[in-house]
This record gives sequence, C-alpha cells and structure tokens, in this order.
Amino acid sequence: MNHLAIQLVSLPAFALLALAMDRHQLDLLGRELPPGPTRGLRMAGWLALLASLAIAVGLKGWSLGLVTWCGHISLSAAIVLLTMVAWERRKSVKK
Amino acid sequence: MTANDKKHSKPGKPAARGIRQTMSDLHIWAGLLVGWILYAMFLTGTVSYFKEEISQWMRPEVAHQAAVPDAAEVVPRIAEELQQMVPGSSQWSLGMADARNNVVSAFWRIAKPAKGERGFGSAVFDPQTGQKVSSRETVGGEFFYRFHFQFHYMPVLWARWLASFCAMFMLVAIVSGVITHKKIFVDFFTFRWGKGQRSWLDAHNALSVFGLPFHAMITYTGLVTLMAMTMPWASSAAFKTQAERQAMQSEISAFVPAGKPSGQAVPLAPLGDMVRQAQQRWGADRIGRVTVNNAGDASARVIVTYGDFERVSISPKYMLFEGSTGKLLEVKDQVGAAAETRGVLYALHLGRFGDTTVRWLYFLTSLAGTAMVGTGLVMWTVKRRTKLPHPDKPYFGFWLVERLNIAAIAGLSIGMAAMLWANRLLPLGMEKRSDWEIHWFFILWGASLVWAMLRPAKRAWVELLWAGCAALALLPVVNVLTTDRPLWRSAIDGDWVFTGLELTLLALAALHAWLAVRTWRHQPKRKPQRQAAPRPAANSPAPAARDVDSGATAASAAMAPDLQEARP
Amino acid sequence: MTSPALSGALRAALTKACQVGPLLSRIVAAIGGGYALAAVASVAALALPMDKPQAVLAGTMASFLVYTGAVVWVFAVRSATRAWLGLLLAAIPLLLAAWPVWNGVTPA
Repeated sequence: MNHLAIQLVSLPAFALLALAMDRHQLDLLGRELPPGPTRGLRMAGWLALLASLAIAVGLKGWSLGLVTWCGHISLSAAIVLLTMVAWERRKSVKK
Repeated sequence: MTANDKKHSKPGKPAARGIRQTMSDLHIWAGLLVGWILYAMFLTGTVSYFKEEISQWMRPEVAHQAAVPDAAEVVPRIAEELQQMVPGSSQWSLGMADARNNVVSAFWRIAKPAKGERGFGSAVFDPQTGQKVSSRETVGGEFFYRFHFQFHYMPVLWARWLASFCAMFMLVAIVSGVITHKKIFVDFFTFRWGKGQRSWLDAHNALSVFGLPFHAMITYTGLVTLMAMTMPWASSAAFKTQAERQAMQSEISAFVPAGKPSGQAVPLAPLGDMVRQAQQRWGADRIGRVTVNNAGDASARVIVTYGDFERVSISPKYMLFEGSTGKLLEVKDQVGAAAETRGVLYALHLGRFGDTTVRWLYFLTSLAGTAMVGTGLVMWTVKRRTKLPHPDKPYFGFWLVERLNIAAIAGLSIGMAAMLWANRLLPLGMEKRSDWEIHWFFILWGASLVWAMLRPAKRAWVELLWAGCAALALLPVVNVLTTDRPLWRSAIDGDWVFTGLELTLLALAALHAWLAVRTWRHQPKRKPQRQAAPRPAANSPAPAARDVDSGATAASAAMAPDLQEARP
Repeated sequence: MTSPALSGALRAALTKACQVGPLLSRIVAAIGGGYALAAVASVAALALPMDKPQAVLAGTMASFLVYTGAVVWVFAVRSATRAWLGLLLAAIPLLLAAWPVWNGVTPA
C-alpha cells in the first residue's frame, strides 16, 4: 500500500516532466505548447516528484524512505520512457 | 568545448580533441576491456538479491515456511544440537530464519582441523526441529552471490582484486559516460526504435540514464565493500598496536573474537532468555544472528546481533551477554560518523534491508544495469561492423570481441540455468554434489564460448539465445518431473517463493525469446550510401513530425560523430 | 639492409613509438599514478581533526573518488606530460599532510 502510494505520485510526475519537453509535445500532441503551459507542466512535474519523496519519507523514515524513493523514481522513469517508445511505434506503424 | 573545436595546430601534429571526444574514448575502452567480467558480475549480483529464494528452490526437501519461527525458540534448539556436534568449538554462529530464509545457517570453528580441511565447518538446520536439514547437498543461491565478487576456481584474494579492478573501471566508465553525454537530461526520454546503430545507442543511453543513481551507487558502494583490502594504507599507517586495530574493528564489525577459555566448565545459561531480552529491546523479528564464544566454559560470551530488515546500515549493533549467567554486559548500537557512513554504503549495496517491493526494485534496476553493460558491449561491434571493409572477414580483434560478447552474454544465462538443472538432476547421494552443480555452470558456459567460436556470429547469437530461453523455460518442467512441488501446487499453497521464482524464470525465458527474435530480424547496416532507402511510410510525416525527427537526429548527431571517431 | 631502408624502418618504429608512447604513459599515470594518489589521499585524511578510526574510514572511502577524478584528469588534459604534472601537483599537499602520519608522529 505504501509503495503504491509513492509510485502513484512519482509516475505522473515523470509523465508531466516529459510532457514539458518540446520534443515530446511534438510527438504526443502534434505541436509545441506555448511557454506558459510548458512551464506549468514542468513545475507540476517537479512538485509531484517532491511530493512522492515526502510520501516516501513520511511513511518509512529518512533512510529507508530515500532509498525506496530512488527505486521508485527509476521505475517511474522507465515506465514513462517505455510508454513513449510504444506510443511512437504504434504511431509509425499506423501511418 | 564541443567535439568540433579545433585548436590551431602545428602542421603535422593532430588537432587537439575536445573533452567529450576523449571522455568518449575513455568510456569505450574502460567499458570494453572489462565489460565481459562486469556483465557477469552484474547479472550474478542481480540474481543475488533473491539468493535466499533461489536457495530455497534448490532445497526442495525443506518445506515451505508458513510463518517465521520465533528466534527465542529456534536458537536453544539448534544450540543444543551444535553443542553435541562440536562440543569443543571455540565459536559457533547461527544466522536466523526469517521471512525469506526457511533454514538456519550455522558455522563453527574447528580448533584442530584435519590436514587439508578448513578451520571451520558449516551446516544448515531446520528451525522447527533443530536438526540438520536433510536435503540435497547444494550451495544454493549463495554461489551466485559469491561468484559476484570472488568468482571461482581462483584464490579469493586475487578474485576480489580483480572484481575491484573491474569496479574501478566501471566507475570511470560511468563518469566519462556522463561527461560525454552532456545533454543527459535533455535526451533523457529520447529513444528511437529499430534504427540500427542509433537504437542500440539509445537503448544503452536509456538504460544508463534512468538507472544512473543506482549504477553509480552500486559501483561506488561495491568498491567500499572491498576497501579494507584494496586501500589498506590509511589503516596500516594509523594503527600500530593490536588494541588500536581491535578498536577499529569494533567500529566496522560485530565480530567479537573468542577469548581464551578459562578451562572451568560452566553450562551455558538459557539462550532463549537472552534472545528474548534482545527481542524486547528491538522487536520480535529483528534478530539477525546469535554467536556463542566458548560455549560451556566460564568465559563464554553470547552475542545477539540485530537483523538486516529495514535497517539501512550494517554497522555493528548487538547485545553482549555473559554466557554462563545470561547477564547483559554491553549494548553496542552506535558507531562514529564515518563508520556509520560506511555502514550505510555497505547496506545500500547489499540491499538486505528492503521488503519485497524494494528488493524487486533493486532487482529490476540491477537487471537494467546488466542490460546497460550488455548493450554497450554489443554496440561496439554493431558500430564497427559498418566500417569493416570485408564484413565476413573481420580483423582478429573484432572477431574476438564479437565471440566473447556472445559467450559472455548469451552464454552466461545458459550457464546459470544449467546450475539449476544440475540441482534437479544430479543424483542425490552423489559425492561432492554441490561442487558438481557449480562445475556444470562453468561447463555449459564454456560450451557456449566454443559454440560461439564455431558458428557464424549472428547464428550463434540466435541459437544461444534460444537455448537460454529453452533452458529457463523448461526448468519448471524439470521441477515437476523431479520433485513433488510443481508450480501449480506452489501457487495453490501460497508458496510465493517457489511460485515467484518459477514465474520469473518463465518471464526471463520470454525475454530471451524476444531478444532471439529481434536479433534474427536485425539487419546490419552498411556505412550509408545515402540513397532514398525504402523507409516505411511511417516516416513520411506531417511537417511537425519531420521537425521532431531532424531535431532528434541533430541532437544525436552531435553525439554520434564523437563515438564514430573513436579508435577501434 | 641498405642504409636508406634501415633509416626508413627506424623512422617507422620511432613514429609508432611517438604515437603509442604518450598513450602508454597516460595509461600508467591513470592506473598506477591514480592509485598512488588515492592511497596518499587516504593517509592524508588522518591529518583531519577526528578520531583515528573515523579518519581512516573517511579517507579510505574518499580515496576512490580521488582515483576516479585522477583517471578522468589524465585523459582529459592535452598531453601526457600535463597528466603527470597534474598528479604530482595534487600529490604534494597530500604528501605533506601524510608524511607525519607515516613517520609515526600522530596528530592530536
């Protein structure tokens, strides 16, 4: 349960951070977003990342929490990456 | 400074190369020279996070443990057994059974070993009965763990030096890799699929980057675990007397050496009471180890050591009792700042503090690290193949690297699976059975090297990957045929150790199959004559997407020339 | 061998040596020199104002970072000579700190 809580926040955090990149906006949305929303996405992403750290530390203490958090963000980053790869593949196959 | 900076140079002198170029060279050479050993260290290290579970699977005679037994009851049972087995021993030590461990591992000192025998013995005990476990003789998952840092068939010290040497190269590879990939966070999520050399580079980058905190941590902490051997200078310069050395030891180790026995025989006070005291102080399931020095003597000492679970440090933490009376003599739970730092770093490497989820995170990230090393090795040949004048007759260095890659990567999976096959198939009463399980690991690994040398490279890859797939996938079948614990019964019984392990074997088999299929389909690229290649319609994109592609290519082109210029 | 052929072969050998020499020098500097620097650094840590066991551990743990930095330095700089010079320069303050320790004069 604890672990799920951490992952459920860190995963969207990375999705938001990815979306805040021009290249991925082009890939996923077909166009670059204006700087305002982009900045908003980036801030939201970082905040979510910090929130996931807070959850981890709150649930498990500093040492265990930090280590657990590091493991979770590696997993989140991997999932977001693989999702985008799969998305791009589907897109290129469809065309 | 970019790779394209060229200083004014005297005629005849080569132009100065940018730092990213030199770091790229350093990265490639550091990685290549020790890559095969590093891959083996990484993969065996990865599976070691589940070494207890592997050991359980390799001792199918020992029943699945439904609940963790109470240490306060287990210890007296086994202590009694040990005192009968080795009455004069100056020290014996019991590692507790816990959620992952359904046996008690004990070792003891032998005062006067027979010629050629080691000075200590070990055995595995059933926590419920206190009797020595009667199961097939095996080292279990401990083999992969020990191989990870001290290999096999070689003196332990040499092996550890070699492992440290490789770890140092790895640390340099990481740092030089980060310097090379300056735009590490910008390119973080970029990965192009199926584009030959580019996608190998992207896979290597992706695996390296998203696991970077782990890879850097695991490498550095690995060096720390062996630092007493590799960097003894400060210690030997600082400590001249035995007392000073002992004081140092007490900062890093819970080992309390057995003192001189008094000669006066006094029975050991009830160990259960001492363990209970520790449980009251720390928690019922927090007992890791119980060591008894000079059992049955007036000078006996009992050391109850804190367990690993949820403690992100291995710095010494124990309670010391007077063996004959059960009186608490000392509680050690604090060490100095640097010693605690070392304890934390060591614990981070071992990962024993984690619960199942944390352990899985360790396993998956470590597996990614293994793939990072593997993709790096393969990338070397993929890149250089495009420059070969005669791809079918490569120069010796290329041929060697390619074959070693195949054996080191595809062959290792086969070897590891072979050990599990041997565990199930070797006759139970066989002489030196546990040694032979290990021999089969090396026999099959060596056989795949021979196979790789005899076959054309691509075929060797595909054949060996399929062989690995089969070796892994059939293990549950072998298990059904040779034991009474088939996968479905383990699942029904809620035995997650057996079920989890066999399902993981199947998943890894699927991974090997996927790799085999992809390798079969992979067409090596020639150095491009840039004609309009018949690209799938996929890449005739809307203008926006084309910008993406060229943007991506431009970004990666900034990197690719660095690597292409590297010397073979 | 005729004279021109001999000098031609000699020149080829010298050229090869000039190409490989600096690289070999750097490799020695990196692997051997880097280790030596790291070792000296670990002993120099004993000059720090902390308990000896803690200083020993701190110095030893830090030594691997010194080693890595030294290796990167050796290959990052423009010439093998600079590589060695850099290592020697870094070693001087460390040796000064470490010398009393090696000679048994333990700092407070």
